[in-house]
This record gives sequence, C-alpha cells and structure tokens, in this order.
Amino acid sequence: MCLPVNAIVFMAFQINPGEPEVISKLKTNVSTYAAVLLKRQWLSHKSFEITISTPSGFEFEPGQRIRLSRSGHEREYSIASAPKESDLNLCIRNVTGGKVSGFLSTADIGTSLSIHGPYGYFTYKTSPRPAVFVATGTGIAPFCSMARSGITDFTLLHGVRLPEDLYYATQFQQSARAYVPCLTESTTTRTAGGLDFSATGGKRQGRKVSQSLRVAPGAKHPVWKTQPNKLPANAFNGKVTEYLKKHLPPAVYDFYLSGRREMIRDVTLLIDERFPDSLVYTEMFY
Amino acid sequence: MTITTGTGDKGKTSLFSGERVSKAEARIDAYGDLDELNSILGVLAAHLSAKKELVAELQQIQSDLFQAGAWLATRPGSAAIDSLQEISAEQIAILEKAIDRYEKELPGLNAFILPGGHVTAAWAHVARTVCRRCERKVVPLIDESIKAKVAVPYQRLLVFLNRLSDYLFVLARQCNRIHGVSDKPWRA
Repeated sequence: MCLPVNAIVFMAFQINPGEPEVISKLKTNVSTYAAVLLKRQWLSHKSFEITISTPSGFEFEPGQRIRLSRSGHEREYSIASAPKESDLNLCIRNVTGGKVSGFLSTADIGTSLSIHGPYGYFTYKTSPRPAVFVATGTGIAPFCSMARSGITDFTLLHGVRLPEDLYYATQFQQSARAYVPCLTESTTTRTAGGLDFSATGGKRQGRKVSQSLRVAPGAKHPVWKTQPNKLPANAFNGKVTEYLKKHLPPAVYDFYLSGRREMIRDVTLLIDERFPDSLVYTEMFY
Repeated sequence: MTITTGTGDKGKTSLFSGERVSKAEARIDAYGDLDELNSILGVLAAHLSAKKELVAELQQIQSDLFQAGAWLATRPGSAAIDSLQEISAEQIAILEKAIDRYEKELPGLNAFILPGGHVTAAWAHVARTVCRRCERKVVPLIDESIKAKVAVPYQRLLVFLNRLSDYLFVLARQCNRIHGVSDKPWRA
C-alpha cells in the first residue's frame, strides 16, 4: 500500500500529488472507474496479487498507482502490470486489521470495485546515468510494471525478510541488468524453516511451513503458491543499505526508491554521503 | 501515518526533478516563499469565509501556486518537466479580469495608500509584498531556464506572479471597500 506522499516529496513545500486540486495542475488524467476483481493469487503468507479488469478509458504510465475505496476507507496501490496488458495487477500486503487489504484478501471473484487514478510521478526517466531500483516488500510493484513495459537497463535491489517475499523474482532475473535479493533473515534460519528453494526445486518443504499454510475446508483464505524460482546465487544477507555501502561502486546514478519510509530515509542519506550528484526519485509505502 | 521522512535532517531536500540539494539553495528559497504566500492566502481566505466567491477565487489561486511551485522545484532541462503543466495564458487572464472587475468598483487612486485598514485588506497587502519577494527570487532562476532552452514556462510563471501582485493590491482595496473601510492615503 502506498500513500500520496511520494516521489514528489517536497515536505517543505507541501506538494502532495494525491490531492485532486494539485493533481489538476500537473499533467495527469485522474478519474473514477468501475472495475471487477478477476483473480487473486497469494505470493507469500502476507502478500497477494489481484487481477482486476482494466476499465474502459483508463490509461496509466508504469510506476503510477490507483486508489481503491471500500466502506469509507481508501488505500493506494501501485500497479504491477504494464499498460499494454489487458488487465491490471496490484501487489498487496495483507495488513493485520487493514480495512481495504483485508477486504481484497477475501472478496469474491467478480466483486465490483471502484478505482480512482492514476496517481503519481514515480515513472522511469530516460537518462545517461545508470538506473538503480531499490525496493522493499511490495514496493517492488512499480518496478514490475516498468520491467513488463520493456525497461531492462537497471540494477534492482529487493529487500525482504524471507525468500518467499521475492515476488516476481523470475521476471526480474530475466529483465534486470542485475537483480540482487537482499534478505534480512539469515540463510541458516531460512533453510531450517523449510524455505530452502534450491533444495526443493521451488517446492516448499518443512513442518513449520506446512502448518502455517493449513486452512479450514471451504475457507476463502489462501492457498499460497511458491514461486517456481531458485534463490539467486547472488542473494545478499543484509539490508539494501548494507549492499549499497559494500558493493555499489561510487558513481552518479539515477536512484528509484520504493518501499518503507525507513529504507527511503536510510538510502537517501547514504546517497547524499556516498553517491553525491545522483538523482533520487521516491515512492513511499506505508 | 506521519509525514516525517527524515531525509532532510542533514540540511538537504529533494527536488521534483530528483536532485538532492541544500535547503539553502536559491531554488528552495524561492518555492519556500511561494509556500509562505500560499499560507497567507489561506489566512486571508479564512478571514473572508463569509464571502464565498472571494474564497473560491483565492483557493483557485492557491491551487495555481502549487502548480507554480512544481516548476520551481524542477531543474530546467530535467526529464521531470514532462510531468508538469505550464501556467496557462488563461490563468493569467483570470487575474487580469478580476483586477478590471474590482477596479471598476473602486474609487480612483491618486496617492500611495497605507497598507492596512480592515484585517482582510491588511492580509492582502502582506500577501502582495510576499508575492513581490517571490518574483525577486524567481528572476535569477530564469537564467538557468534560458540556458536549458526551456525558458517559456518559467517566464510565464514570472508573468503570473507579477499579475498576482497587482491582483493582491486591488484585492486589498476591494477588501476595505466591501467592509466599509476607506484606504488611508500617504501624506508626506
């Protein structure tokens, strides 16, 4: 889930691109559309992807987001699919007690949805400088849209806790110049917990995992599907900031940061110190 | 949800065009003043809450100032310019029409007037002076846009601010008029 304080973070000059009166003064075509929930696929224990119909007339750029409303609650989600695709994909973290994500996690296929957008300016800018994409968790969604749209010349760091959170890994292994999963839980722990992708050919094993996936017969809740990829050999044990400090050569880059506030703060301050004169575009997720 | 990012704790901020710059940079200074102007218009609108048409007019200008601020927060020549909407000739014309409309209702002026009178007029004068300061801060930025061969939108922004300053002067007088307060002429 992302909220409007994003790439255009002029906190001192409070431009908030999510507000309609501001949006109306920047180039965009925001409107309200009716859509239908077509599919839901669990990406991990905590996150799922929904597929919704693309409303007639709805256009967006890779990296933009939409607002979903439910019973007076609104949340914004980046679009993970490419504009050329027939349907929209949203990558959603199932927040405990979340009104919108909770609803979307169990809503019947065929449910009507109201979407508003598109919002945001976290779009790819052609540049002579190398692009470095940095995401945490479901902050990967805008990069997924960019990659599916044919953007390939980028380095991607995806910071997650567990390998199961490496959504779209196969796709990025194929499209990114370099794709580096950054795992904040140690490999030892992951293997002991039955999450060793390489040993199972992508099928999860282990008592702890199978217990957590048990669901009551007939329940709407989730059949979690393992991604059919192996954990990349270059997976890094540690935070994205640690990887940037240790492995990204000092140079001038275009950084695109998408995810948790703490990551955006830490990486931005690191860029100031280690990669001066680089450009920084941010999309903050909450 | 908090708005705090912490990315500015060491004195830098991010432009819309992605650069990390010192908060003391001229560009930040300029859009900071624009933000100040916008906030003053908010105070003025709050004092005028009973005058719905005036409030709507001021809120439109507040929105226009966000648009102007986005230009100031973008380095000329940046790819991010593609996301910006230029200040239009129509937005400037709206100010000019309002100036004409108010001037027809106001007595002629043949002396300087003291900024003040009704509290709404006093705030309009404050807004005018801050708007003039914005102009002075934007002028040096125009050179950069000329070098980048994208001067037109920035020059139009300057025209908008110049016209807005005039509008705010006339609005101050109009605020006194609708509240039954006479402008005080300056006596040397």
